[in-house]
Amino acid sequence: MKTVKKMFWFIFMISCGLLFYSCGEGEKVADLESKVEQLTSENTTLQKDLTALKEKVGEGQVYKLGCSLAITGPTSDAGNPYSKGVEDYVQYVNDEKLLGDSKLVCFIKDDGYENEATKRNFEEFLDEGIVLYLNYSTGSTLALKNDFEEEKIPVIPASFHAGNLEGSHYIFLPIVSYSNQAISLSEYIVANHKKGTPQAAMFINPSAFGRGPVDDLKKAVAAGLKMDILEVVEHGQDLDNTALLKRLLEKKVQYVICHTVQPPVATLLKSAQALGVAAKTYGEPGKLTFLGLHYAGGPDLITLAGSAAEGYYWTTSYKLTSYKDEGADAQLALAKRYGRDEKTANSQNYTNGVQVAQIAVEAIRRAKAKGNEIDRQSLYEELLAMNGYDAYYPLTTVGPVTFSKDDQQGVDTLQLYRVEDGVFQAIGVPFRSEFVKKVK
Amino acid sequence: MSQNRWLATGNFFTSYRQEQRIFLTHLDRLIFICLLVVLFVWPLCVEVSNKQMLVIDNILIAIVAILGLNILTGFAGLISIGHAAFVGVGAYTVASFSRVLGDSHLLLTHGWPLMILAAGLIGTIMGAFVGLPAFRLKHLYLAIATLSFQMIFQWTINFMTFFNQGQTISVGRVSWFTGQIGRNDHYLFWYYVTLSIVILFSFAVRNLLRTRYGRCLVAVRDNDRAADAMGIHPGFTKVYAFALSGFFAGVAGALHAYLWRGVGYESFTLHQSISYLAMAIVGGLGTLIGSFFGPAAMIMLDLQVENLSQVIGKFLTVTMDLATAFRPLTFGLVIVLFLMFEPRGIANWWRIARSYVKLWPFRY
Repeated sequence: MKTVKKMFWFIFMISCGLLFYSCGEGEKVADLESKVEQLTSENTTLQKDLTALKEKVGEGQVYKLGCSLAITGPTSDAGNPYSKGVEDYVQYVNDEKLLGDSKLVCFIKDDGYENEATKRNFEEFLDEGIVLYLNYSTGSTLALKNDFEEEKIPVIPASFHAGNLEGSHYIFLPIVSYSNQAISLSEYIVANHKKGTPQAAMFINPSAFGRGPVDDLKKAVAAGLKMDILEVVEHGQDLDNTALLKRLLEKKVQYVICHTVQPPVATLLKSAQALGVAAKTYGEPGKLTFLGLHYAGGPDLITLAGSAAEGYYWTTSYKLTSYKDEGADAQLALAKRYGRDEKTANSQNYTNGVQVAQIAVEAIRRAKAKGNEIDRQSLYEELLAMNGYDAYYPLTTVGPVTFSKDDQQGVDTLQLYRVEDGVFQAIGVPFRSEFVKKVK
Repeated sequence: MSQNRWLATGNFFTSYRQEQRIFLTHLDRLIFICLLVVLFVWPLCVEVSNKQMLVIDNILIAIVAILGLNILTGFAGLISIGHAAFVGVGAYTVASFSRVLGDSHLLLTHGWPLMILAAGLIGTIMGAFVGLPAFRLKHLYLAIATLSFQMIFQWTINFMTFFNQGQTISVGRVSWFTGQIGRNDHYLFWYYVTLSIVILFSFAVRNLLRTRYGRCLVAVRDNDRAADAMGIHPGFTKVYAFALSGFFAGVAGALHAYLWRGVGYESFTLHQSISYLAMAIVGGLGTLIGSFFGPAAMIMLDLQVENLSQVIGKFLTVTMDLATAFRPLTFGLVIVLFLMFEPRGIANWWRIARSYVKLWPFRY
């Protein structure tokens, strides 16, 4: 028993010792922090001079970005290449010294498309001292909106949900919103429909992301866009859509606007092909013409749907690598340089990832060129000033990135594509919605 | 009774009262007090990041929920596959007030203890309501009834505009005597609140099991006909177990809403219900200590697997998407292994370790 007693006291003493040691460390750290804070607040001018001096002698600074996205889990087919795009461009910036001697660090973390994981990642990034944050899903962007406001940190999400911007000052959409895309597509439908009022249905993702543009499109219809929306279908995990398609045909639906990720659209298109109800020409009577928003299309859709994708219309603000131009060459070269496979290199989600990183780097570059301290506020101001002559032209979008206090949607133009012979072919020139102003 | 009140090397009870003591020896009590002191003091001494604190808070909230699930499944023997929905009821109680009154209404920001209590009460009512089929059903049939509740809950939240169709409903920052709790203190504040609730509820459960109300749960679990013969009403006992479990879950839900400063549908899905069940199994069903070990083990495991799958995701191509499968695979594997090799959960390891220390250096 004595031995046990001795052992107990021994453990107890060690625990107490450790506890006091930790307390001491904590105090030491706290003391140091308060001293540093005091010095910093007293000598801000000195600090600026020191920064300038460091730049002069070539000692660069480290700018930190954070990026939380679905590398695994739902929508990872989009999130994975997106993350590679961000990673590669940041690496490229450092390799090519595009920010001089300063170094760019981007913490990329997987959130598995879960809001709680996103919040955890965001907290971690804040502790790391990030100056700009790249978010991913609609759900998490909406969930963290209050945090972004409190932290006053500029955020560029992969979600183009118009609701992200409501009551928010710090969120910047890289391209026009889903609502804008849906209304633009609908305008195209109305303009090119031949007889009577076009009858449409929406095929959406059962989430905040999917429901995003529904109300705005209904508002546009109520405001005079001559189109009837007969049904809004929230898809499940069906492997066959025969019943759905039959129902839509019975309701005399002619156009199906898809707003979800690629796999459900591929299933829908395959079912339509099997039933022989997919329109061969635009608006073919008695058949269904399928159209999709940004995430409901892209080269991966053709891989998934095969020949069923023929005649599918899709809109986005990004250029595709199937068009050989300067942007496509640059993107493919970047992907090749960092060893990405062909699928990733040609994905519009890779383009998307590169573009958001480009916007962040451009804001840093401009703030740096003005001799400003690189912090959240200066980057926020740089993003807001990105318009008019100061608009930013990434090579991979169909229009310039413009932001202002009244317009926090980056690329304002859209390009319509159609699948022909297994490739998305551009139809006409980039356009912008006229009707969207009426629903604002 | 043992002569030495500090150490007991055997059972020397001469009355049931002695056997029912919360702390068998003074040493147990001292260790417990030391543990409490450490739990309350360490965040003030050690520098912890907000992320780490968020994870710890999340574990504590899961402990509150698992204490409730353990009453239902562990002590009363009623399998619930809808526990996340009960937690969701609590969270959405807070969210509903936020929806109606605004997220920064005084009732939410200053009257948060009342809100937590209200969430618990709504959870109790829902628990009792869902438990009503227990009058007629048992075993798997009752489990299906809880599954139905989970489905109805998900459907309601996901489609009703009042609940923002499952999108996050924000909850404002709370206030304390010192003023509004800002971001820097947020997680620490909720650590103390949740820890206090965990301690309070743990004592409540421990005491419950010392009373006839607690013992009747165990009696119904072991043999409901025998319990009936002894004058216990099995139906009422089951409904009461559901109600009690609903209260714990409701409180956990309210804490969740305040900690995350918002309520979204995805935190209360069937997957989460199964996770709760797994936490209870891995911790040790029908044990109080298991309610602490289970959530801690499963949440930490999930985080580690999350990190690992991210590393895997970096090296594998998109088409393989093996990283996505890695998480559920590991999760399932852990449960299967525990069911196969340690059905009594981590609590049993704790029991073995304790008895080893108690008898050391003797083996028997």
